[in-house]
Amino acid sequence: MAAAVEITDLVKVFPAQFGGKPLRAVDRVSITIQPGEVYGLIGPNGSGKSTTMKALLGLVAPTAGRCSIFGADSLAVDSRRQVGFLPENPYFYKHLSGAETLRFYGKLCGLRGSGLARRVDELLELVDLQGARDRRLGGYSKGMLQRIGLAQALVQEPRLVILDEPTAGVDPIGSRQIRDLVLELKGRGITVFLCSHLLEQVQEVCDRVGIIFRGRMVREGRLEEMLAIEDQTEIVLSNASPELIERIRALVTGSGEGRFVHTGKPRTTLERLFLQETTDRQEP
Amino acid sequence: MKTATRRLIAAVGLLAAAGAARMPVEQAMTERFREDGLLREPVDVATQKKLGQGFFAVSLGGLRTLVATIWNLRAFGYFEGKQWVKLADTYETIVLLAPHSDYYWDTGSWHMAYNASVDYRNREHLPELRREAEWRQWVERGTAFLEEGARQNPDSWRLWAALGRLYVDPFKLIDYEKAAEAYHRSAETGNALPYVRRAEALCRARIPGREDEALPLVRELNDGPRGKVPTLNCVRFVLELRADPGIDRDRLAAEVFGTPERAWRELGDFYLGSKDYPMNGVRTMLRRLERELQIPDEQSVLRNP
Amino acid sequence: MSADLVRPLNPRRITVLAVNTFTQLVRMKVFYFLAVFAAVLIAANFLDLPVHAAPESAGVEVLYSIKSSCTGTMTLFSLVMAIVATALLIPRDVEDRTLYTILAKPVPRLDYLLGKLLGVVALIFVSLLVMDLLMTAVLALRTNAVVEQQLHAAEHFGYTAEMKAALEAETRQLGPTWNLQAAVLAIFLRAVVMACVAMLLSTFSTSTLFTAVVGFLVLFVGFFQADAREFYFSGSGTLGRIGALLLSLFLPDLQSFNVIDAIIEGKLIEAGQLGMVAGVTAFYFLVYTFASWLIFAKKEI
Repeated sequence: MAAAVEITDLVKVFPAQFGGKPLRAVDRVSITIQPGEVYGLIGPNGSGKSTTMKALLGLVAPTAGRCSIFGADSLAVDSRRQVGFLPENPYFYKHLSGAETLRFYGKLCGLRGSGLARRVDELLELVDLQGARDRRLGGYSKGMLQRIGLAQALVQEPRLVILDEPTAGVDPIGSRQIRDLVLELKGRGITVFLCSHLLEQVQEVCDRVGIIFRGRMVREGRLEEMLAIEDQTEIVLSNASPELIERIRALVTGSGEGRFVHTGKPRTTLERLFLQETTDRQEP
Repeated sequence: MKTATRRLIAAVGLLAAAGAARMPVEQAMTERFREDGLLREPVDVATQKKLGQGFFAVSLGGLRTLVATIWNLRAFGYFEGKQWVKLADTYETIVLLAPHSDYYWDTGSWHMAYNASVDYRNREHLPELRREAEWRQWVERGTAFLEEGARQNPDSWRLWAALGRLYVDPFKLIDYEKAAEAYHRSAETGNALPYVRRAEALCRARIPGREDEALPLVRELNDGPRGKVPTLNCVRFVLELRADPGIDRDRLAAEVFGTPERAWRELGDFYLGSKDYPMNGVRTMLRRLERELQIPDEQSVLRNP
Repeated sequence: MSADLVRPLNPRRITVLAVNTFTQLVRMKVFYFLAVFAAVLIAANFLDLPVHAAPESAGVEVLYSIKSSCTGTMTLFSLVMAIVATALLIPRDVEDRTLYTILAKPVPRLDYLLGKLLGVVALIFVSLLVMDLLMTAVLALRTNAVVEQQLHAAEHFGYTAEMKAALEAETRQLGPTWNLQAAVLAIFLRAVVMACVAMLLSTFSTSTLFTAVVGFLVLFVGFFQADAREFYFSGSGTLGRIGALLLSLFLPDLQSFNVIDAIIEGKLIEAGQLGMVAGVTAFYFLVYTFASWLIFAKKEI
């Protein structure tokens, strides 16, 4: 089975602007994503993430190298049958309502009639926008736009979904919804290629991660492998008394193997606290 | 070479090739349309200066008739203010923009030959000679304007007829020959109302030295449907007499007028009206008729000078 | 999932894009312009100018003014719409990122261009149709009124039935006729050409303003194109002729559409001649669209 995404030695050079030097936005980047994986491409602003994605989608032509989606060359229109794309900060057509937007994209992909209507309903339900289906996108919040964007990307049931900064500018609640959606997609076996500079969120959903900096891939691999601090172990206890902790500390020191590094309260994340206090709040 | 640049060059090349291909075709089409009267020769330099730059650009844009309409409104303003020179200039520009609209030629010449001329005539603060000169100048200008209009629209029966009317107007510069010619052109278009041919005939009958040339046409019209109109009857009578002085007048009168009463009435009006018609034998006939009909002296037509 | 290749020039796909463009433009409240048109029409209808003509031929001048002001307004609107609406389409899509989402779907770039262009063309067509219907209705009513007035006067002056019929026919020629519709069609065709030009410009310009300004420039110079062409064919002076050649090659000859003026003045246009104008328009459409595609197909976005 062909890899979902195969980027081989991609180079993209933008010609010099007035009196400047040519910009080497992407410098020999190679990425392979297997079907069903969630891959995160992370890097600071201007590192070449968006350019890589656009090359994959055939929106820009590579200076060198090759990109393909499920074996089909990115420069051919056919390769886009299998892919859905959510660009960064999309606004879509403000004059259309949510449902009309999905119908528009569906028709572009060849869907029609009752099949299209059903799909639109399904997607609106998936992204939780039925309530706003007839409201014009001009009146949507940022989070809602991202969700309708995700819906539009999924309209033709693609096997690969590409998300460019899916949670940029979205509040924590919206962010979590999107994150949950990505996990749902993963559960359905859809390959997800996302890029972000919000590291927390990448950490939560991705299987594999690539770090790109100044157009070059500097580090790539499975997330757990990369993040594990190799030589440290974490044990979390609940309801442990101070005496118990002292005994463990003595045990470790006495064993001569390893070093007791630190004891204290694990911290929750601010995000978890926020959610706990707001939407997850259980009413008494 | 980058693909984008290559394609840009290809696009430029395509446009150039397409342009070269269509140039002769469009040229031929333009010429053909100009022949057919669908397109005009470009508006010339003189008009450009009058119209002003703004209108000029617009007037090329297929909006000539609209500009003409707007300028017509302006002209109305000049008419109300009696600014005849500006008015005439405006109309001359208007007909350059819309040369095939009868209305503008007609109205323009009306303003010049009728309104302007009379206005100057009535300006008491001007010396007599000056008033006369202005009057004449404006009549001539209006006439020339209308002639140009008829020349550019030879199929317009109305314009030719208006020209004929102008030449025949007793308060203007009378020229029966030109009037007859104009009425003739009007009738030739095939669209003219019946009165035009009658008018032509009546004009021909008044061309000094060539009155008799009118006889064939007068006969044709007089014998034709609805041809027994008074003036035509009288002119027929006179011309027949001129053609054949020995003709039986009573029989002629009976043929032409029907009854002696009618003959007396029509010839009487004819005699009194004058209007430059030949009057051969009219007095004599009237005397005979008055004797025959026993018209009392006080009512005699011949009595009035 | 169908296995056949995605081919360009898919009518359904193009229609979806065209309808979307049409809706977008409509929801921008373009049609408010029609209110202006209606106002112009009403003003033209009530124009009262000095009449000196014989009563039996009076009244026709208002027909001239209705026709010329309506077609003038139609001309202005259709040209402005053609240039400005087309000029804003692609830059707006780029700004709203919708261009990426559309081209990330299996949509060939040619279909995208055609969809946009046909959407604008549809808008112009519908607007002109509405204006045409209004103009025709008012013109018909007015012509009937004028004819009635004239026949009344003619009756008074003793015209025969034949003469009255001739008078009526003459006046009706100045009213709504199929010939006048040909003029409206010519207005539409010219707008289509300008929309194509604007589309071509917008494929390599990123700014709506730039495209619109250059579009209007092309419009004005396009009126002189015929003169340039004639100068090239018959004039003298190498430099002048080269300049004239360049103008003639790249700019559309918009003077051919000036047949509109002649038609309003009553000149009859034959189907064949109208066909020629339509043919030239179709040629411009194909060439400019293909050139647009050449540039846009490999454009980095």
